[in-house]
Amino acid sequence: MEHFDADILILGAGGAGLRAAIAAAEAAPDLTIALVSKVYPMRSHTVAAEGGSAGVVQSHDSLDNHFNDTVSGGDWLCEQDVVEYFVAHCTREMVQLEHWGCPWSRKPDGHINVRAFGGMKIERTWFAADRSGFHILHTLFQTSTRFPAIRRFDEYFCVDLLVDDGRVQGAVVLSLSTGEFTAIHARAVVIATGGAGRVFRQNTNGGIVTGDGMALAYRHGVPLRDMEFVQYHPTCLPGTGILITEACRGEGAFLLNKEGNRYLQDYGLGPAEAKPRNKYMELGPRDRLSQAFWHEQRRGRTVNTPQGDAVLLDLRHLGPGKIKERLPLILDLAKQFMGIDATTAPIPVRPAVHYTMGGILVDIRTAAPLAGLFAAGECSSVGIHGANRLGSNSLAELSVFGRVAGEQAVEFARGSSAPRRSDQAAAVEASALALLDQKGRGEHHAALRAEMGASMEKGCGIYRLGTEMQETCDTLAELRQRYAGITLQDRSRAWNTDWVTAIELGFQLDVAHAMAHSALARTESRGAHQRLDGFEQRDDANFLRHSLAHYQGTAAPTISYAPVTITRSQPGSRAYGAAGEHEEAAHKDAVSKFGHPPISKDTAHV
Amino acid sequence: MSDATIPSKSIELRVLRYRPASDREPVLVSYRVAYSDDMSVLQALQSIKDTQDGSLSFRWSCRMAVCGSCGMMINGEPKLACNTFVRDLAPDAVIIEPLQNFPIERDLVVTVGDFVKKIESIYPYIIPKVAKPVEDGAHLQTPAQMAAYESFSDCINCMLCYAACPQFGANPDFIGPGAMALLQRYNGDSRDGGRQFRLDQIHGEDGVWACTAVGICSEVCPKQVDPANAVNQNKTNSALDFFLHYVQPRSQP
Amino acid sequence: MSERRPFHRPQPRHWWAHKPYLAYTVRELSGVAVAVYGAILLAGLICLWRGPEAYAVYRRILSSDAAFAVHLVLLAAMLWHVLTWFQILPKTMPKLILRGRPVPQRQVTAIALLVAMVCSAALLVVVVAIGVTS
Repeated sequence: MEHFDADILILGAGGAGLRAAIAAAEAAPDLTIALVSKVYPMRSHTVAAEGGSAGVVQSHDSLDNHFNDTVSGGDWLCEQDVVEYFVAHCTREMVQLEHWGCPWSRKPDGHINVRAFGGMKIERTWFAADRSGFHILHTLFQTSTRFPAIRRFDEYFCVDLLVDDGRVQGAVVLSLSTGEFTAIHARAVVIATGGAGRVFRQNTNGGIVTGDGMALAYRHGVPLRDMEFVQYHPTCLPGTGILITEACRGEGAFLLNKEGNRYLQDYGLGPAEAKPRNKYMELGPRDRLSQAFWHEQRRGRTVNTPQGDAVLLDLRHLGPGKIKERLPLILDLAKQFMGIDATTAPIPVRPAVHYTMGGILVDIRTAAPLAGLFAAGECSSVGIHGANRLGSNSLAELSVFGRVAGEQAVEFARGSSAPRRSDQAAAVEASALALLDQKGRGEHHAALRAEMGASMEKGCGIYRLGTEMQETCDTLAELRQRYAGITLQDRSRAWNTDWVTAIELGFQLDVAHAMAHSALARTESRGAHQRLDGFEQRDDANFLRHSLAHYQGTAAPTISYAPVTITRSQPGSRAYGAAGEHEEAAHKDAVSKFGHPPISKDTAHV
Repeated sequence: MSDATIPSKSIELRVLRYRPASDREPVLVSYRVAYSDDMSVLQALQSIKDTQDGSLSFRWSCRMAVCGSCGMMINGEPKLACNTFVRDLAPDAVIIEPLQNFPIERDLVVTVGDFVKKIESIYPYIIPKVAKPVEDGAHLQTPAQMAAYESFSDCINCMLCYAACPQFGANPDFIGPGAMALLQRYNGDSRDGGRQFRLDQIHGEDGVWACTAVGICSEVCPKQVDPANAVNQNKTNSALDFFLHYVQPRSQP
Repeated sequence: MSERRPFHRPQPRHWWAHKPYLAYTVRELSGVAVAVYGAILLAGLICLWRGPEAYAVYRRILSSDAAFAVHLVLLAAMLWHVLTWFQILPKTMPKLILRGRPVPQRQVTAIALLVAMVCSAALLVVVVAIGVTS
């Protein structure tokens, strides 16, 4: 096995990992930063984000507005001190990306343009047509090549962390091209490996989104927080789950049922107006829109397509000019994958799993409760999304907290001793090789993966039942047992994707198990976690708390709870449409009694 | 894959396979796959991997033609497997090979590292014309200024253009269409002042002059980036620069 | 030792004879026709320089059926070369931006072709006019 000595190790080179690497290299050009990614950085799944990234810019908007939208959008399960820091730093990050070349869409006068997004009171979503994530990722990757301190390990897959003496000391990585192992020793480790949406059958995620980093931290005793909150994106292509961006609705698209009605008005999001107002109708939050689909389906008002039930996303009234300018990728995707010209026909869409709100427990400094370990981006739970993430907050999150993670890792690395080399790395290698050679019971992992996806969809879907969640927990326990006896069909070393996907499945099963048990234990409905078995209401008395899933080896995880930090917004009723406006007025009175000064750019330094 | 539609027809896929541990050279291996009308070639390959032969290796991720992972030769043409559909190729057998002009690592996986080095060689980042602190806000850039470079910034690095380029086939050191598109993306950006550094990278025989304007690179591009335009307009720039460098002093970035 | 052993597949030897490269090959060959026609004109010039006898021979050869056929072929190749040359033209120049939008390449080709045709026609008129008046 080869050894590589780094100061900082970053696992994952998507938006958060690259932003962390750049921040670290800027802060400490003298340190060695190892940046590990199982794909070339520009393939990372940030690439598929479409709509845009939040950052307050308009004079009639305020950081308090962004804060309130985020906290109520998250059904008050947000860490409010973290949200304050977040909203105060989004815009600076967007400007920073602009300086690095990100081709944000502009107004005719050359200023940055912003668009409306679901659950956001005022337009504040920066966008690069409908390829915002693509442009952010490529901008960050290309900018990162400027820094000699960043030593990339492209197409290296992390098999395990090295934890010794109560502190993370590096990781063991597998070169996909050779199948050989390298131990990377580091003083600080940043996990930025993205979400885990692939544990569900229908999802918008790329094949690489397998929760690797979450599982790595979890297995070493770091709790996974709020894992029951999984976001269904309401508008995806049926069958493939390909994402049809919320920006369509931001630009004014309608959602119609079989009868051609804008059905969202039946679910407390109305009134329906020709141009949806912000936080009304199609610009409601994702959880509410996905739930409305579920009801329409039960009422038989969805459209049948060869790929299953769907509702219709109608862009036609926007006109071909606007569609081509603002939504070129959507036009392409509808054409290629559905054979539909979106300028002349509505696109069939349905909800699919999109985002994991929960993740590795970290504090406002992105530090996990394991010395030297930091996490940022979708794999982490820094606390800004609560029970439901608002669209365009995740690209902003990876920029804001990617930078924090990079800077904090530098600080930690500066203040800590050199990592210790133990024989752990050899043990990790041996166990990975054992899987490769394992005789097993002849079962292939592809079958297990399919069962996991189907079971998660059934038990942890848009609406949940205790009995079904229990079934999913049981199925996952059984799958984990069967996983121990799988047999690979490929025993070679070079580019053995059979081997790597099998290791990924091990990560996925652990993460899925944490999700299902966290969901089962939360006997209330909040945000994306909606139950139909007697727990239909939010229960602040018992569950205004974060769940923490603790790894217990082959046994089921244990679930504990931690308090939510509330600074300026007491839990209120979460309403949208006309009812939302009422609620907001009432809430404003209540908040003004507390007399908080408005959030400013200088708020809450880390 | 997870599709709900029930396949009713089947098709033969002949996949060029190469396993470095056991094969001396690549061989075509035949598979038969049931397909439905919405099945992509990528899904067909995934179905082989999941149900017939787990040892088949290929790269993929996003499934929506934006990550650039799944480029391969499909019936001799460089294509993204995720947005090429089996229905358009049926009923004849489909021949699937790794991208032309690249060394084969294994099966449909080719060597990408050299391409990434080319990207890195052309200073693929803004070298500010005028230093401006972030606190001073965003630059102004009119839609016309954006239009000058925007299409070149749409390149997904899928390398189909390299697979289509006979000059790259003849000379693997040729900078090639994709990297030139990226060069033009930055040289055309009103915020950038690094044009000279980049031009200095492309004068030699591995630079723009290896191009003979075959033009197929632009035809196979899945994102209409038009790399041929990037290469050929820089022949003029390179020639002009050759004469100018006698009269202008130079510095390093 | 790692298992990695990249396999270098050679480029197909006759790539230029197959689609989609055939159009390129024909385009490049049509350039040879332009050179051949240039050589014929040059030969005429040399004959003119060597005296009336040589020039008469040149004219006799040109008026043969074979020469006529060759010129027809050359004309066709030349026209093809002109067309493809203008098709490449927009690839060799910076994007034309009008009112904030790039001008489509087909339009650039069409306009350039039109200009070329008008110039050619004007030249033809001048040549015929000189021929008639002298």
